[in-house]
Amino acid sequence: MSLLQIRDLNVRFATTDGEVSAVNGINLDVARGETLGIVGESGSGKSQLAFSIMGLLARNGRATGSVRFDGAEILNAPAPLLNKIRAERIAMVFQDPMTSLNPYMRVSDQMAEVLMLHKGMGKTQAVAESARMLDAVKIPDAKGRIRLYPHEFSGGMRQRVMIAMALLCRPDLLIADEPTTALDVTVQAQIMELMADLQREFGMAMILITHDLGVVAGSCERVMVMYGGRIMERAPVDPIFADPAHPYTQGLLAAIPRVDQKGDQLSAIPGSPPNMTHPPAGCPFAPRCAYVMPVCGQAMPPLDAFAPGRERACYASLDVVRKGHAPQPDLPEPAAADLDEMQESAHDH
Amino acid sequence: MFGFILRRLAVAIPTLLLLIVLSFLLMHAAPGGPFTQERALPPQIIANLNAKYGLDEPLWRQIVNYVWGIVAHFDFGPSFVYPDRTVNQIIAAGFPVTLTYGGIAFVAAVVVGVSLGVTAAIRQNTWVDYLAVGTSIGAQVLPNFVMAPILVLVFTLWLGWLPGGGWGGPIFWIMPVVALSTSFMASIARITRSSMLEVLGSNHIRTARAKGLSESKVILRHALKPALLPVISYLGPAFVTMITGSVVVDIYFSTGGIGRSFVDSALNRDYAVMMGITILVGALTILFSLVVDVLYAWIDPKIRY
Repeated sequence: MSLLQIRDLNVRFATTDGEVSAVNGINLDVARGETLGIVGESGSGKSQLAFSIMGLLARNGRATGSVRFDGAEILNAPAPLLNKIRAERIAMVFQDPMTSLNPYMRVSDQMAEVLMLHKGMGKTQAVAESARMLDAVKIPDAKGRIRLYPHEFSGGMRQRVMIAMALLCRPDLLIADEPTTALDVTVQAQIMELMADLQREFGMAMILITHDLGVVAGSCERVMVMYGGRIMERAPVDPIFADPAHPYTQGLLAAIPRVDQKGDQLSAIPGSPPNMTHPPAGCPFAPRCAYVMPVCGQAMPPLDAFAPGRERACYASLDVVRKGHAPQPDLPEPAAADLDEMQESAHDH
Repeated sequence: MFGFILRRLAVAIPTLLLLIVLSFLLMHAAPGGPFTQERALPPQIIANLNAKYGLDEPLWRQIVNYVWGIVAHFDFGPSFVYPDRTVNQIIAAGFPVTLTYGGIAFVAAVVVGVSLGVTAAIRQNTWVDYLAVGTSIGAQVLPNFVMAPILVLVFTLWLGWLPGGGWGGPIFWIMPVVALSTSFMASIARITRSSMLEVLGSNHIRTARAKGLSESKVILRHALKPALLPVISYLGPAFVTMITGSVVVDIYFSTGGIGRSFVDSALNRDYAVMMGITILVGALTILFSLVVDVLYAWIDPKIRY
């Protein structure tokens, strides 16, 4: 039985512009010790998927469906039950280390309160244990610097603090929501390496949410590609890169700039993400898809297994997609509907 | 921090001097004077009075004499209208009164206002929130000159529970406190609510929730401090306004506070009393804006002086 089992998860936000469907009918299993990458562009619903697992949706958000953790239903579970699981069994590292730590509290207090709450430690012991964890994430002079405030750390160091804080209770599952997006490239590599090491050491499962396929290639076993709140393709990491079976995955891979290919134009997927206030009836990617067919606009294609461990949700035949020679459709300039805007307005209300 | 406080206190001296000079000039620029009456006094008497109070000297000389009296003897001069009382005596009699009901009103406004604001924010868009917001808007638009007579009508004339005026034991404090604190309480509640809502939506609160902390710990340990920052900057000036009293409260409840003396002195052109109370309010304002800055640094570790 898998550690995390998600069935038909939907996340909706009530906004002044109407209801926003951020996550639509996701099924997902994560095994113990496994690393799953969730890839998608901004607004694809990947972060909201993670927040709904831990019951951290914004106030105007509603999640329906089922999330079972270690056999127990935790979706919309009462707060006392969720609070026993949070940090203790499922921990989370957030995207922006600059704002995700409490700027008004010393790092020692922020970390110690986790251990005092879940492990019943006294303050002194909790601070000592927290300092050991800071040491484990390779923060130099951990004993001295634990007394500092977050603003006295650099961005990369702050993310190390976040990781150390998440690992304090040795959780079974770590959800890392774009842990390196806000950091510069050299620091990104260090943080990813650190997380891989710690994951091996602690034997925990990890969900790594990112829009950076490079990060996924380096650290995940399985990859789930999301778009418009739905799963487009799911497969082990190697076939995703070697043999992408979904037009969107192909587009994502083609958009990675390569230094070994000449040309001044960066490849991009034409069009812009759908406005999730009025989600398309069919495949959300259809308006931008090179292989689009009339049926695509009518109903979402099912997520079908076509090889061991590999699934895709696409009406176009696998052979056609693999050949990759579809004509580029004439697309209008990117529409004004911006997904970032949508997310912000979802946050505000 | 200590150096910062000293520096700020040093800057307060020229600020107060500037305040004295400006109010002195403005006061004398206004037509009329302390001895102007409906039936004009004989010119000789006016001249004698002016000579006695030093009003015949050039303005700059009057200012220098006045400041020297304060610096050398802490003497704010005699009242021009009540010949047997000095400004020091008038303030000493009235300030403890306004300090008492103003201080209590301040504490009441902060405690009730902050609790109301926090509760409304936690229960945003529920009937609790609507009730709290509705009450505070109501309290804010109800001026104290309407509130005070209503209080007297209900609690003195109808119910007979409270004395309608005068100053004595705690029973006399209740209505002045209620009349003075209501609108401040409402403002504090509204500031607290909106800043708490903003803090509750911030990333570090999500982190606190992800730690498995109970909602009350999230609020008290992680959200309250930052949510109070805007409230504190409002509280500095509000505190000064409250402890120096309200003319409406002083008049309706005959408390004998300096709020009334201040307005009377302005109407009577009682230059010395007016200056004395102006300086008191100015000095307190400077002092409490310093207190606000110190509190800010205590709450926010990023602020260092």
